[in-house]
Amino acid sequence: MFLRMVKGALFRQKGKMLMIAFTIALGASLATAMLNVMLDVGDKVNQELKTYGANITVMPKGASLLDDLYGIEEGSGVSDQYLRESELGNIKTIFWAFNIVDFTPYLNTKARLNSRNDEVELVGTWFSHYLNLPTGESLNTGMINMKSWWDVSGEWLTDQDENFVMVGSLVAGRNNIQVGDSITIDIGGQTKELTVKGIFDAGGDEDEQIYAPLRVAQEFTARPGLISRIEVSALTTPDNELSRRAAQNIKSLSIKEYEIWYCTAYVSSICYQIEEAVTDSVAKAVRQVAESEGAILEKTQLLMLLITILSLVGSALGISNLVTASVMERSREIGLLKAIGAHDGAISGLVLVEILVTAVVGGISGYFAGLGFAQIIGRSVFGAVIDIKPMVIPIVAVLVSLVTLAGSVPSIRLLLKLRPAEVLHGR
Amino acid sequence: MDLLELRDISKFYGNVKALQNIDLTVKQGEWLAIMGPSGSGKTTMMNIIGCMDKPSNGSVVLEGTDISKENAKNLTNIRRDKIGLIFQQFHLITYLTALENVMAAQYYHSMPDEKEALEALERVGLRDRARHLPSQLSGGEQQRVCIARALINYPMLILADEPTGNLDEMNEGIVLDIFKQLHRDGSTIVVVTHDPEVAEGTQRTVVLEHGRISRITQNENK
Ligand SMILES: Nc1ncnc2c1ncn2[C@@H]1O[C@H](COP(=O)(O)OP(=O)(O)OP(=O)(O)O)[C@@H](O)[C@H]1O
Ligand SMILES: [Mg+2]
Repeated sequence: MFLRMVKGALFRQKGKMLMIAFTIALGASLATAMLNVMLDVGDKVNQELKTYGANITVMPKGASLLDDLYGIEEGSGVSDQYLRESELGNIKTIFWAFNIVDFTPYLNTKARLNSRNDEVELVGTWFSHYLNLPTGESLNTGMINMKSWWDVSGEWLTDQDENFVMVGSLVAGRNNIQVGDSITIDIGGQTKELTVKGIFDAGGDEDEQIYAPLRVAQEFTARPGLISRIEVSALTTPDNELSRRAAQNIKSLSIKEYEIWYCTAYVSSICYQIEEAVTDSVAKAVRQVAESEGAILEKTQLLMLLITILSLVGSALGISNLVTASVMERSREIGLLKAIGAHDGAISGLVLVEILVTAVVGGISGYFAGLGFAQIIGRSVFGAVIDIKPMVIPIVAVLVSLVTLAGSVPSIRLLLKLRPAEVLHGR
Repeated sequence: MDLLELRDISKFYGNVKALQNIDLTVKQGEWLAIMGPSGSGKTTMMNIIGCMDKPSNGSVVLEGTDISKENAKNLTNIRRDKIGLIFQQFHLITYLTALENVMAAQYYHSMPDEKEALEALERVGLRDRARHLPSQLSGGEQQRVCIARALINYPMLILADEPTGNLDEMNEGIVLDIFKQLHRDGSTIVVVTHDPEVAEGTQRTVVLEHGRISRITQNENK
């Protein structure tokens, strides 16, 4: 009979119950969407920030020292230290290999342009390089991925473009170079005639440089298989106290701390692992980017957290209001049940079961609707799929049940206090 | 034997004196009408008899036991076991069928028994409407369902507060016939009414005025 009464209440008052279920679904979907987005936003923002370039540079040990001490850069002829191109693939074998999004090697040399005394820097690099990894996997990496924001007129080079170069906008402007022009490059007396395939505006020091495929630069400068620098773009966990201590001095960490640090994608631990993988190298975080990334991430997450909390509170209020209202309007029915001999426990049980069934229906459909909303938000804000976090399920479940209980229990208690005599005679 | 005895009952709502010093006894098997102008305390008295409310003063003795000092839980039990209530506004549960409304009373009393519930509906002539929702029944039919529900647990006392107040003459006739039948079968019935015709069928009429009994008439013919 209990079941029959619950069924009657649910199915023969479909409109009303659907309305409640719908509100609960709305609240639950909002909660689900916001929680999923909030939990995933860190990765998304990180990915977004990755498009703004590298966050780690790898240099030869000696060059790095000179750079630190005197601010002398590699390729200036002062340092003759190089990294090996053949070791590049090792970067993708470190513990945090999956966090390495892209990397590109550079070989920088001073050169003279068009036999004038104007010194420029010729940079050899990978544009879009297909790389077979020691692990047996393969990878496509290079400049085009990492410098996607460069404004290129003409075209990007490919790694097969032996007789072409890309010229930085400042160099091009000064020397009145157009796309399609021929230029002469002079390195230590050797000259080479090259065609300009593209002119780029990078908005940085690169605009003073000329880019060629790595192999071309290596042959030209007689440094086969050598590179002077690697830029790495990696997904990192924002720095905290532990990672800052590690960055200063790894020896100050206890074994346990070391393990935690090594197994967290801090930029410092990724740098450390790169150094392990590439002989005689020093990997350093490009400070400004890494730090502002962490800060932006924290701010975005805080913002999302606030919005999430607000939307949770909002949906909680909405649900509990409607539930309260729907319980309150049953005063006559409850009075009648009392009049025909139902005790308080039996009545509360009946009403609660009905509400909870409604809440479960609403909560489940709301959860799935929320996943949909999360994807819509992901699409429109990040242009990416939001990963579904299973931990949202218990959170939403607890939330919905708490809110419906909070909305119904006080009102049921209030109704039970009413004497049937009062409600039944319609005063 | 006296089934019910009200001893010096008073009921106050703040300074409204709804009932004052009521003394009344109802015998087993008696059919009693309570009449009186609006606001004279009829419903208040029914609530007190029906264990829905407690008197401010005085005692209610049902089957020799004083129930006026019982707590709400015990009153619910007494109401459930001994009293059948019929209301002017029927008060059926809207989302349950006629049959289920009757069975709900069984459920809270002891055990739902569909066969018995159908028989109760049969007695009020609604067996064929058992699966209908209250909204699909006319007022008179709803009131008959309400009566079937009141009777289902064989109460020793049936209380009806203006049972025909919302019914037309024809339905009033049907309901009265049911009451007559119940009376013949030996039920004790107290009915509040404004309708002299209803009162005429009863054995005794108590008239309330301003919370006091102003007159009691014995209907000779019964
Ligand atoms: N809960 C209450 N609070 C305050 N006053 C009340 C309450 N219940 C009843 N009264 C008052 O008690 C008096 C008797 O009310 P009661 O409902 O018993 O009258 P009645 O005879 O049933 O009237 P009617 O014929 O209109 O149904 C009225 O003056 C009413 O206003
Ligand atoms: Mg009344």
